[in-house]
Amino acid sequence: MSDVREQGLEIVPEACERPRAVGEGGDAVVMARDLTRRYGSGDAAVDALRGISIDLARGRFTAIMGPSGSGKSTLMHVMAGLDEPTSGTVRIDGVEITTLKERQLTQLRRDKVGFIFQTFNLLPMLTARENLVLPLTIAGRKSDDAWLDTLVRAVDLGDRLDHRPSELSGGQQQRVAIARALVSRPAVIFADEPTGNLDSKTGDEVLGLLRRSADEFGQTIVMVTHDARAATVADRIVFLQDGRIELDCGHMSRDEIYDTIKSLEATSERGGGGSAR
Amino acid sequence: MIRLSLRDLWSRKLRTVLTVLAIVLGVAMISGTYVITDQINNGFRTIFAKAAVGTDVDITHKAAFSGGDLYASGGSLPAATLTSVRAVSGVADAAGIVQGSGAVVLNGKPVATGGAPTLVYSAAPFRFSQSKYIAGAPPARSGAVAINAKLATDKHLKVGDTIGLATAQGVQKVVISGVFDFGDSTSIGGATIVQTTVADAQRWYDLEGQYSSIAVAAEPGVTPDTLARRLKAALPAYAEVKTSAQSVADSTKAVSDAIGNVLRTILLAFGGVAVIVGAFIIFNAFSITVAQRIREFAMLRSLGATRRQVLASVIGEAGALGVVASLLGIAAGMGIAKAINALFKAVGADIPTSGIALAPRTIVISLVVGIGVALVAALAPALRATRVPPVAALHEGATLPPSVVSRYAAVIAAVAALVGVGVLAAGMFVHGSTSARLAEMGLGAVLIFVAVAMVAKHVVRPLASVIGWPAAKLAGSSGRLARENATRNPARTAATAAALMIGLAVVVFVAVFAQGFKTSFVSAVDRSVNAAIVVSGQSGGTVPAAALATVRAVPGVEQAAGIYAATAQIDGGSTASVIGVDPVSFGPLWRFHWLKGGSDALLARLAGDKAIVEEQFAAKYGLSRGKSFMALGQTGSRQRFTVIGEYRDPTLLTGFTVAQSAFEQLVPSTQRDPLYVIAATSADPAQTKAAVATALKAFPTATVQTKAEYTAGLKKQVDQLLTLIYALLAVSVVISVFGIVNTLVLSVYERTREIGMLRAIGTTRRQMRRIVRYESVITSIIGGILGTVLGVAFAYVVSSRLASQGITFSVPWGQLVVFLVVAGFVGVIAAVLPARRAARVNILEAIHYE
Repeated sequence: MSDVREQGLEIVPEACERPRAVGEGGDAVVMARDLTRRYGSGDAAVDALRGISIDLARGRFTAIMGPSGSGKSTLMHVMAGLDEPTSGTVRIDGVEITTLKERQLTQLRRDKVGFIFQTFNLLPMLTARENLVLPLTIAGRKSDDAWLDTLVRAVDLGDRLDHRPSELSGGQQQRVAIARALVSRPAVIFADEPTGNLDSKTGDEVLGLLRRSADEFGQTIVMVTHDARAATVADRIVFLQDGRIELDCGHMSRDEIYDTIKSLEATSERGGGGSAR
Repeated sequence: MIRLSLRDLWSRKLRTVLTVLAIVLGVAMISGTYVITDQINNGFRTIFAKAAVGTDVDITHKAAFSGGDLYASGGSLPAATLTSVRAVSGVADAAGIVQGSGAVVLNGKPVATGGAPTLVYSAAPFRFSQSKYIAGAPPARSGAVAINAKLATDKHLKVGDTIGLATAQGVQKVVISGVFDFGDSTSIGGATIVQTTVADAQRWYDLEGQYSSIAVAAEPGVTPDTLARRLKAALPAYAEVKTSAQSVADSTKAVSDAIGNVLRTILLAFGGVAVIVGAFIIFNAFSITVAQRIREFAMLRSLGATRRQVLASVIGEAGALGVVASLLGIAAGMGIAKAINALFKAVGADIPTSGIALAPRTIVISLVVGIGVALVAALAPALRATRVPPVAALHEGATLPPSVVSRYAAVIAAVAALVGVGVLAAGMFVHGSTSARLAEMGLGAVLIFVAVAMVAKHVVRPLASVIGWPAAKLAGSSGRLARENATRNPARTAATAAALMIGLAVVVFVAVFAQGFKTSFVSAVDRSVNAAIVVSGQSGGTVPAAALATVRAVPGVEQAAGIYAATAQIDGGSTASVIGVDPVSFGPLWRFHWLKGGSDALLARLAGDKAIVEEQFAAKYGLSRGKSFMALGQTGSRQRFTVIGEYRDPTLLTGFTVAQSAFEQLVPSTQRDPLYVIAATSADPAQTKAAVATALKAFPTATVQTKAEYTAGLKKQVDQLLTLIYALLAVSVVISVFGIVNTLVLSVYERTREIGMLRAIGTTRRQMRRIVRYESVITSIIGGILGTVLGVAFAYVVSSRLASQGITFSVPWGQLVVFLVVAGFVGVIAAVLPARRAARVNILEAIHYE
């Protein structure tokens, strides 16, 4: 791989390809086209996204990686309907979300999108079980008992299911958060650094659960992370740099990911950042 | 450190404003009370001082005893006194003045004065007259009168107009000869003043050959004091000789004690409630901010700040709040004074006021109360802040070490409750001055409030699940989450609810007590009065004596009797009511509740020195059948009465009852009008009532009602008073709204991240608002329930204590439900701003919010 470093990204890692023009998207759950996002205005303006198009296929587990400031979080927020793009469009499950009104957007998030946050964000006054079914409660829907049983088994909390979050470990809390994201069978789950606050062992448990969600339940998952170890569970890894997709890769090992990151960093230094391009 | 405190206050503007407002309103109530009562006392002083212009010495008939009625006096002076006065050396001039009371009658209706006096007096020679004639001249011939300018303006009267004047001899037709200005027109309230000739006044008020008072002017070089001394020596002992300065001071004091100072005590009580509610809110606000600033305190401590400095920083913050709030409160107090005056006018009480009267004393008291309450309420949270260990700076989400107070909370609450009950009981059962006993009862109630607030956190959860149940059922997840939020920090919810609890407890107490009062009074009238028609005077005044004969003469009236009431001094000690009746005509119209084997047969023996006594009176003076007591009347006459029977009537015929002839020995002729005339009918009561009303046209101040109308009127009066009290208590409820807003805003701020998460996973803004609103309503209804329970309990205790005085305990259930609904509504109002804040939380910022 040494030649990759020397020649920058003229040599693309085996599992990867350059981002290419995307078409109609086919079975894509999320289709983003020409996304830009500019914060502020005038001299102080910052371009977080500089034209990103991506399709996320149903049932696939995608990791979005990139150094700080590469725009990975912004991309996730825009695709999830939490932030508005400056230009470009996003479709979730066939619905164009950039033109939706606040209320419709909230309903879309409720019905089609699941979230997993870095800080587990469980409601402290509810038990683990109550937190798990919270999206259904908010939507005023009945829970599907069989599905709930499946999730409860997957979360593997045993008798702690009726305990409050403060009585659970970080890993346990994050597993509840994952189940909460799964419970409404959303079209896509967005996970923002889900292992960021965990040690490696509990992080692995959490990643295992995410992986199984994709494998066993066919759940589409998008995970933003800067942790190479976490990205290894993904089917696809998208590398961002300066608000653009730099590489679009399949499954990679940890070493491959490290090397890719390093080579990207080198390119970035040599290129003097995005503004030079 | 102080600069740090101030910076901190600034950075939390909204919460600071809310906390300041909580103190401002309480201080404003206090300062407003002083301002309005000073204005009232000032108003009366102005009137008396104006009336005394040109007079150096004032002579009246000495009162036989003091106490009892405000306007009761010792009667009149014989006309010969004037001659004696003029003979004293140093007297430049003297004038006899006849004074009475009588409404101006226009188109057959008395002019309403809103409780202000309807003065009639004889016009004095110019040197004694402060009146400035702006039209016409003083009355010079019989049938001519002069009226005050405000009356002329209000009723569009001018010189030459004919008006009616209600006198003891019925309505007199009089012609206006002049209009005079009685100083600042607002200072006399709604009072009407009519000047007549001396002869007219003497005739109309049964004072032929007599004067009510004599005004004396001194010769140059003779001081009023010297002249008063000489007059005292020259006149009989019954003459009360005072310099006009002394007379003005005495009259002012008498009226102030009866009106301004009584009002002040009552209004201060409401102000006190508002201040205590404010204290709870400050305590709560500081508790929450201290909890939020743990890391800041720990950081300061780790940088070397001492505990004392941390304490100073929190206390300094409270002190700064207190200063600002007190100053604003003093300013707002001026507005409150205006509002209270408007409120009195609205319920028909036009009290004379004068000046703006922001006395230095008012400013000092307001500052002491405002700053004091802020410091005291912030002390416990400030002490907690000093207990933050420096190491907490390193922990995320460090919590405060449990305070000493919380460890012994149960014990402290129990002690506070016990002491509170003890002090309350002492106030109720141990004899002492009324104000001391009221103060004890108030202190007891406050201690009980504190105790309840301390233990209230234990009932928050069960109460919230009951109250939240319908919310959860109706609103699903929003209701459930709101309920959970409300019970998350039971201590905080309890303290927030406690503020509303106090206001509502007082409201409920008043409502229940008033209901008991109404019930007992109305049932007493129903039970005792065996007559279909009740004739009463204008605004609690008497009925002209001549009206009785008129009523008796109306066809359809079977029997009519007057009820006469006055005050007498018993056995040289305290005063009691003396009731005079004509046993023959009154007996059939009244159902006595006889005790100890008495019966109506006793009435036949009620004559001369015989008396029947009310149970309480008998108990107070240790009387029973055959025993006797000495009564001193305002005539100066002393009479010994022998008890021939006892009855129970704690509300109407209190004191003792004697035959009319004995009554007249005790009471000066000017005060001998009946309080009521009651009449039984042989024909249809409604028709007879109409006939009586027609017959009494000549006595427009007399109101003719059926018994049912009379009791309905009583109820209405109590209700009107209640409205006034509720309006005053509304201030406390408003303060508790600020408290709820404050707590909710803090809670929303603390839960920003949760709110972001909830919004991210699909909670709509409307749901978010609803969650906050339900939490607010649950909190306020908890306060409502606690307040209702406490209020009913207080009312029960006080009513039982007063049971012997005829006060019954009766719960107005319908009203209690209304109060709870109002409490819920308070929650809805309080939630508007915090709910909007919660709904507007920026999701992205919130989920990355630390």
